[in-house]
Amino acid sequence: MITVDGLRKVYGDFVAVHGSTFDVEPGEIFGVVGPNGAGKTTTLKTLAGLIEPTAGAVRVAGESAGDPETRTALGFLPEESPLYEDMTARSYLRFFADLYDVPRETANQRIETALDDLELEHRDRRLGDVSKGMKRKVAIARSLVNDPDVLIYDEPASGLDPLTTNYVLEYVRELADAGKTVLFSAHNLYHVESVCDRVVIMNEGEIVARGTVEEIRDEHGETTYRVFTTAPVDGSEPDGDRHVSTVDSMDAVDDVREAVVDAGGEVVDIRTRESTLEEIFLDVAGQPMPGSRRVAPDSADDERGCESTAPSDSPEAAE
Amino acid sequence: MSVSPRKLLRVARWEVSRATGSLDRKTAVLGAVALLLTLGVAAGGVLAGGVALDEDIYAVAVGPDSPYHEPVSDSTPLEAVPEGTPNADVYVDDRDPSDREATVSVADTRKGQAALGAFRSAVERHNNRLLLAEENQSAAFPVGVTLSYVERASQRVGASDGTAGAAGADSSGDDGTGGAGGGGGAGDGSAGAGAAGDGGSGSGLGVPDLGGAAGSLFGGQPTGSPAEISPPFPFSSLVLAFAFLVPMNFVIQAYGSTILNERINRRGELLLVAPLSRTDIVAGKTLPYAGVALAATTLIAVAVGGGPLSVAAVFPIALVFLAATFVGAMFARSFKELTFVTVTVSVALTTYAFVPAIFATVTPVALISPLTLVVRDLQGEAVSIAEYLFSTGPFYLVAGTLFAMGVGVYREEDMFTQRSVPLKFLDALAVHLHRPRDVALLSALSIPFVFVAELLGIAVLFALPEGAAIVALLVVVAVVEELAKGVAIFAGFHQSRFERDLPTALKLGALSGAGFFVAEKATAVVQVVGLGSLPLGRAAFGTSGVGGGLGPLAGLGLLALPLVLHVVTAAIGAVGATRGRRAWAGTLFVAMAIHFAYDLTVVSTLG
Repeated sequence: MITVDGLRKVYGDFVAVHGSTFDVEPGEIFGVVGPNGAGKTTTLKTLAGLIEPTAGAVRVAGESAGDPETRTALGFLPEESPLYEDMTARSYLRFFADLYDVPRETANQRIETALDDLELEHRDRRLGDVSKGMKRKVAIARSLVNDPDVLIYDEPASGLDPLTTNYVLEYVRELADAGKTVLFSAHNLYHVESVCDRVVIMNEGEIVARGTVEEIRDEHGETTYRVFTTAPVDGSEPDGDRHVSTVDSMDAVDDVREAVVDAGGEVVDIRTRESTLEEIFLDVAGQPMPGSRRVAPDSADDERGCESTAPSDSPEAAE
Repeated sequence: MSVSPRKLLRVARWEVSRATGSLDRKTAVLGAVALLLTLGVAAGGVLAGGVALDEDIYAVAVGPDSPYHEPVSDSTPLEAVPEGTPNADVYVDDRDPSDREATVSVADTRKGQAALGAFRSAVERHNNRLLLAEENQSAAFPVGVTLSYVERASQRVGASDGTAGAAGADSSGDDGTGGAGGGGGAGDGSAGAGAAGDGGSGSGLGVPDLGGAAGSLFGGQPTGSPAEISPPFPFSSLVLAFAFLVPMNFVIQAYGSTILNERINRRGELLLVAPLSRTDIVAGKTLPYAGVALAATTLIAVAVGGGPLSVAAVFPIALVFLAATFVGAMFARSFKELTFVTVTVSVALTTYAFVPAIFATVTPVALISPLTLVVRDLQGEAVSIAEYLFSTGPFYLVAGTLFAMGVGVYREEDMFTQRSVPLKFLDALAVHLHRPRDVALLSALSIPFVFVAELLGIAVLFALPEGAAIVALLVVVAVVEELAKGVAIFAGFHQSRFERDLPTALKLGALSGAGFFVAEKATAVVQVVGLGSLPLGRAAFGTSGVGGGLGPLAGLGLLALPLVLHVVTAAIGAVGATRGRRAWAGTLFVAMAIHFAYDLTVVSTLG
């Protein structure tokens, strides 16, 4: 659905994107992550036809980005929600539906559906008088008035409270389930992990990692094993009335097990720990994600959606 | 992407709903009332002759029975006060009935002298009125002279009865009669004192109906002694013509705000993503404001008695107001800067449009302003198509070029950056530079601006002594033309569109000079209105090779030499531009000096 081939964008002497190449399949949610200045917004705006590439080809649904046909089939959500604040939600959405040549009746139906789905209240209040979350929802509704096949969302949850963030992310998932192709950028790696099917990590204009989150973990992350024993072995540390050895392979786990048996003890527990996307990012990009928020602790599934500014303890998962 | 009228109109309709929706109705009504009151008071004051800033500034002590009391009372600057009033400026003593002459004494101050002058004028006007009231006009005015004011360019001054006068230089008129400026034509014996003006009817530049105080302030008095007869001054028409400019100032405020509003917080980004061309967006946003300007112009034309010509003359001015504001709003980084832009646009364009129109009845220079057409329209005079095109053509071209420049930077990469105004100007030029030959096109497109700047130079300088004015004008010409040729080249190098090497610089210089040369030939249009008959007109435009009256060889040389000049000087500037701003400034100065020397030589040689 989306093909980016050798995309390069240069501003004067500054190279914003160095020859990026990737494809996005229909119905996929594709994440573009990276710190500020990584080139992800430039990439998304090029796909939306806002910026002309210096070199390379960018195609959406088989057409060059920026072509009228492409624009008609595209829904773009910029990082901010720059609405016309003297308009109401309805009049704002109708205006854009007009620009996309959506028949009046169809437009009204789509607008009401989108507003219902997004649980948007105050539909006839001036947009300058509604909350930031409401504005974001209106902006998302605007990206849908032309019923596009491709959605390009730049930081869709930017600046929203956790509740609205969850709502928006779930809505993005629903859109993909309904057949939309979504290209999605984020600072927050948890958002990417929770929603995206595949991801590219960008840093300083280059793609430094790509694939599903699992594939990236396999390629760039590492798995460590914590072996809890009743007797001490070489390299183990006391942990209450037990001892714990941290090793990086199953062979090493076997070595620990043998050593414990030799010492007259036994293995009572083995826990695995995988790198988070953030740690992988830190590894491949050489710097932490600005503005990224950590998700704590053991049961990540239960904790998703909660934000924590706690120190970066590693989430663990019992095997 | 082509223009879609349907989408353009949607944007326009949306702009109207937004503009009207965001304006508080009470504020709009109050503003409209205030504007109408202001215009009404101003127009009423002018039309009723109420312009009297000098009312009652001199006190004249004169008795109520004195024959001088009436002239003093009728005079605007004089105030009659009782005899014996201390600190009066003028004292009139005619209490001695045996003495037919009164004794007039004044304070020995500058004000006293001025008061005496005003007193003398008032008495003379009073006497003239009495003479006009005489039944036997032949006795009152033994010598009658009919004045007919005609255009200066045609050099026609004819006597009313068709007899040739003496000493008339270059005086053969269309009617086959010649006349001297000295009014040598003999009268026909009829009382002819009142025949000077027709209040704007008929052919030629008749004396308009000045109305009350305006007439006495600015000349054009239809009758009186020779000393009081002065050339006509279309005061009322000028004031009414100025009224056309007033709404522009309001329109550009709103228009500039809406353009800048698209750039604040990246609001315009979503329109750029929509399936619209940039031209659709800009034209759609501009259309309502152009419509308001047109409607206001039409209303004013109806109100002041102007016709379609007035509307057709003012509309291109409105377009330039909008285009300049659009570009300014695209360059401004904040509403504060936008305010500066709109004020600059307003002052510059009002000056350009209004000042030349003051000379509407005096010199063809006035035709550089479309307001001159309005003045003529209000006086009932015909305007030829050529004159209309001469007056409005540069305005249409300037507006078109400015809009094109603004649309060029109406894109994500330029709209939302906070670069300085000069850098944005260079950006706006550089976006049109894809190949070296584009430099030639940009140089050619600079011609309307060059033309306007040089015409303005003529309008400003023509009052100076001829020699000094010509030299000053040649300096203006050299500066303006070298800047026009060089700025696109500099933008290209500055924005890394071209390689910074000598061959490229020479190539760009040649292209820029050639493009400028070709377009410059368009300035031959000045011949249409006879501007070339003026020394300053010849100095400004004759050096471009458009002058006539030369032999074929000299004509060919004069045609080719400017090409060489433009190519050489543009190349000199281009070489400097490869090395940065300071080097460009240095080489530009050299290019200007060469250009000035060339023009001075040509003007001195051709005379």
